[in-house]
Amino acid sequence: MQPTSYRHTILQSSGYFGPYGGTYVPEVLLPALENIAKGFDEARQDPAFLAELDHELRHFNGRETPLTPLPRLTTQLGGAQIALKNEGLNHTGAHKINHCIGQALLARRLGKKRIIAETGAGQHGYATAAVCARYGLDCTVYMGRKDYERQRPNVYWMELLGATVVPVEDGAQTLNDAVIAAFKDWVTHPEETYYLLGSAVGPHPYPQMNTFFQKIVGEEIRRQSLDQYGKLPHTMLACVGGGSNAMGMFFDLLDEPNVQLIGVEAGGKGAKPGEHASKLLGGKAGIFEGYHSYFLQENGGNIAATHSVSAGLDYCGVSPILAWLADEKRIQFAAATDAEALAAVQTLARTEGIIPALESAHAFAHAFKLAPNLSPDQLIVVNASGRGEKDLFITMRHFQEESLTAYAKHLLSGQQAAGSGQRSQQSAVDSRQSAVVYGH
Amino acid sequence: MKNTLPQPKSIADAPDCLLPAACCPLMCHLVLGYPSLAESLRTAEAYIAAGCEILELQIPFSHPTADGPLITEACRHAVEKNGVDIEACLDLVAEIRRRHPQQNIVLMSYLNPLFVFGLEKTAEKLLALDIHYLIVPDLPVDSPQAALLGPLQDDNDPIRDDKGLKLIPVLGANISDQRLEKLLASGFDFFYLMSDFKITGATFSLHPRLNAIISRLHAAGARCGIGFGISTPQQAKLAVEACGLAIVGSAFIQARNENRLQKCLSEWQNAFIVES
Repeated sequence: MQPTSYRHTILQSSGYFGPYGGTYVPEVLLPALENIAKGFDEARQDPAFLAELDHELRHFNGRETPLTPLPRLTTQLGGAQIALKNEGLNHTGAHKINHCIGQALLARRLGKKRIIAETGAGQHGYATAAVCARYGLDCTVYMGRKDYERQRPNVYWMELLGATVVPVEDGAQTLNDAVIAAFKDWVTHPEETYYLLGSAVGPHPYPQMNTFFQKIVGEEIRRQSLDQYGKLPHTMLACVGGGSNAMGMFFDLLDEPNVQLIGVEAGGKGAKPGEHASKLLGGKAGIFEGYHSYFLQENGGNIAATHSVSAGLDYCGVSPILAWLADEKRIQFAAATDAEALAAVQTLARTEGIIPALESAHAFAHAFKLAPNLSPDQLIVVNASGRGEKDLFITMRHFQEESLTAYAKHLLSGQQAAGSGQRSQQSAVDSRQSAVVYGH
Repeated sequence: MKNTLPQPKSIADAPDCLLPAACCPLMCHLVLGYPSLAESLRTAEAYIAAGCEILELQIPFSHPTADGPLITEACRHAVEKNGVDIEACLDLVAEIRRRHPQQNIVLMSYLNPLFVFGLEKTAEKLLALDIHYLIVPDLPVDSPQAALLGPLQDDNDPIRDDKGLKLIPVLGANISDQRLEKLLASGFDFFYLMSDFKITGATFSLHPRLNAIISRLHAAGARCGIGFGISTPQQAKLAVEACGLAIVGSAFIQARNENRLQKCLSEWQNAFIVES
């Protein structure tokens, strides 16, 4: 039996979701968090705040985003109908800006002048930099050195928008280290700074607040699905790093027991410790970075290394709300590997003309496995949480290596290419073939 | 009763603790297992020999969220290079206790290693080692998880329970009067004050609001120490003048890293003795 209402429980919670959540931070940060929690509670009941939020989501961000049918993919996979929610069409290229607009309006309402944020893939940082520019707020973004290098286009955009991007040299130099650096900044400036945290993780009220600001995604899907298909989706899929796009997509349909919800984690290179970022499949309960949830751990509570080809999923923890909903068995979890995600980017690009972010591609990879087993009257909706341009330097390297390998094979087989034009054409064909191999 | 730490001191009492040549009003911090278990034992011995009043032993954690670069690196070295876990740490603490039954010892750890080990079990082990105080920087002292370490004082019970394990709240100058009263009413009697808003190992300054907080704590019979950024004996003396106890960590780690810990400790010890 499901409790009265998952949605009600989450929105009314004082910070706990089952045993998970909470506020596990140094005492010195408690006043700032209490201030934000109180401010958020007041703001979400204030019609003027909600009206401004709605205005900004429409006219600055460009909502609503389309629910796009994918007819060619549907035919190719032969099973359920597939559609995607194109959150990549948000301003700055991903769903992240939904909570950035909400939180920046809240920060301004609380009289804060300085914003700090962490970022992995750079999408949250990019969106934060954009809203800070729009609302006249000073902006500092922490980014692990490894992510700073692999998501360089977003670093450039953030700097163009006037933000200071600080590469974090500590630890594994990824999202986790950026979160810690942001917390350390906040501990040293707790009174004037607003920490614009970028996922449904962290201490209360962030998991609840970011879910609130992201839930518009699922609300639109409900409406669009009824309008376009005359029914609710049979299955919805979202990738899960921290969980902001998954909570955004799933929240409004949590109390529809016939809608199957699947979170897809980063399977990385394999199941060995340190080679993936699947918290709900491979982690265990812990308390870290302000909240109680599932974390990848080793050796008596130390936080384990993570890996994912997508910077946005390369993180050790997961939303306490998702942890609770996993225990409740309301949401199922699966994993897709790096290779499957890369193949999914190529497949979606070539069959439907949409390049998804590597993060979102994990959800597509799982949808491709699922669709053939469902019937044509069933609808699968995948959250394309971001668009893939930011992954230029990762996908280009991968697909080019791929085509070079194919070209080498081609040379060995004795069929020498005549000219460069023909060569590149041939490589593209071979690379398409190898992407199919990857998909299996 | 041995090792029941606070021995509440008022500001007026503070100079007294400068007097005994063998005792420095310092809480000296080290990371267990850094650079090795044996070396951290030697560091503890050096602190005790220098008359350090309270030994603060930190269980290393892979991601110390409130520490500066020196302690972060020490933790990482202990965890990653030496594979030190909480069990190994508690064995080492037991050895220090065996050698120094009278030494005041407090333990410091981030929450997750204790959570995974079991908070009730942590309390049991520490009390068995005659350790009554614990610092957990990412655990609000009145949260439900904190209650697993030991019950808070019941408002209806005027007799303070000195038998259980107590958390040491780590306060910044932004603590509200209301919150401070609540913590005192809950029975907390030993407080760690952040010198200013910073992480460990940063430069030293004393926030102007600290004096008012210290007066309130002393008036309530609680003890407190000031830490974060104390790197010279002169700064330590400022902290001791303000509240009776200076907490030092990164500066001694740096001295140890540069092979001058003994010399450094003698200088600090002399500074306190000469001054008195």
